[in-house]
Amino acid sequence: MIPQNFEYSQPNNLNEALALLAGGNAKVLAGGMSLIPLMKLRLAAPDHLVDLSRVTDLKSIREEAGTIKIGAMTTHWEIEASPLLRSKCPLLAEAASNIGDVQVRNMGTIGGSIAHADPAADYPASLLALEAQVRIASAKRERTLSIADFLVEALTTALEPGEIVREIIVPVEASGTGVSYQKMVQPASGFAIVGTAARVRKSGGKVSFVRVGITGLAGKAFRATGVEKLLAGTAGSAADVQKAAAVAADGVDANTDLHASAAYRCQMAKVYTARALTQALARVS
Amino acid sequence: MKISGSYTLPVARERTYELLQDPDILAQCMPGTDHLAKIGPDEYEMKMKMVISAVQGLFAGKIRVADQKPPAQFRLLVEGSGKVGFLKGDGVLTLVTSDALPSDPSTDVHYEGEVQVGGVIAGVGQRLLDTTAKLVIRKFFEKLTELAGQASLPAAVK
Repeated sequence: MIPQNFEYSQPNNLNEALALLAGGNAKVLAGGMSLIPLMKLRLAAPDHLVDLSRVTDLKSIREEAGTIKIGAMTTHWEIEASPLLRSKCPLLAEAASNIGDVQVRNMGTIGGSIAHADPAADYPASLLALEAQVRIASAKRERTLSIADFLVEALTTALEPGEIVREIIVPVEASGTGVSYQKMVQPASGFAIVGTAARVRKSGGKVSFVRVGITGLAGKAFRATGVEKLLAGTAGSAADVQKAAAVAADGVDANTDLHASAAYRCQMAKVYTARALTQALARVS
Repeated sequence: MKISGSYTLPVARERTYELLQDPDILAQCMPGTDHLAKIGPDEYEMKMKMVISAVQGLFAGKIRVADQKPPAQFRLLVEGSGKVGFLKGDGVLTLVTSDALPSDPSTDVHYEGEVQVGGVIAGVGQRLLDTTAKLVIRKFFEKLTELAGQASLPAAVK
């Protein structure tokens, strides 16, 4: 329960942090909700931790040119409670409110969560449905990746040594969009057994826009483009939703663990996808 | 935990079998292998450093090949242990000439086995074991495909 010795730095701004990370050996400490338990169990034993808690430039939520930019050190609670996100990107606020428990939401950060890339984390489903962008910084350069390119596989992202997540960029939701995040929760850990995020818009009585992201089912979260194609252009009736949701797990190599077998997860992916689509359609104004 | 699946390699069955028995090739394909040496007939010792996200573990162990029926099948026994836990695996690999690409020789490698993982890593990582196992197996075959491509180049030239 006591971690191995490590060096600890607490930079005061982003440039200091990036300079400390430039060597490539240091590990970033964001909210510490995954890293600290791993260190206490000695499953992780970094030599050097760079704690970003004083880097206030990474803690902001601001609207800019049709997008909302969320600093990597913004906590789940700040996202859940943000009036800006609740009114202009409610899907992300809803996803944040589903994470872990209140203690985790008070400490854990969006940047830390996506950089850890747990295959059952809540954010990726919504970020994929939102086609979010991830801005990455290092001492040498900056780059921006789509969330789909950022999440490489289970517990693996496109981050290179010395790089950190700087901010996450989501679109301001167009008026008339209905959104929903539906999650089957594993009660002990709070992680998703499966979770589906949906965004839909209608025009002239037909579904004109649909985005679906699914987490927890496979090694990494993914966009369920099969579901999207089947629902687009329909009237969005209950039967249309069932038909589209039925392909949610098609072609997916589903996870098995103590809590749910692959077959059960696939079935639940269909059920929760149908629920997310139904609620999102009901919320279309 | 049961593990099963298959992977198609773009090389003929005999060649695939040879590759899977070659310690140098295996050492390059298994993620994090530091050291792999023959210690007896069909028996190897190895050291691995697995790094997955923030988690890293050093494992030392043995690999044994048994019940060889070249070029169709062999049994692989693996055991390893480290500070973070232990691992024991027993599986059968079956090689079948693939008909997916009739123009090119290719081989389906089917694997089926049982893996036991214990210690701290199994206690807290249960939720991620299956995902991680699949990831490691996929990386193994991807690297093997890459090496097979290089190794079979001279044959293709002639």
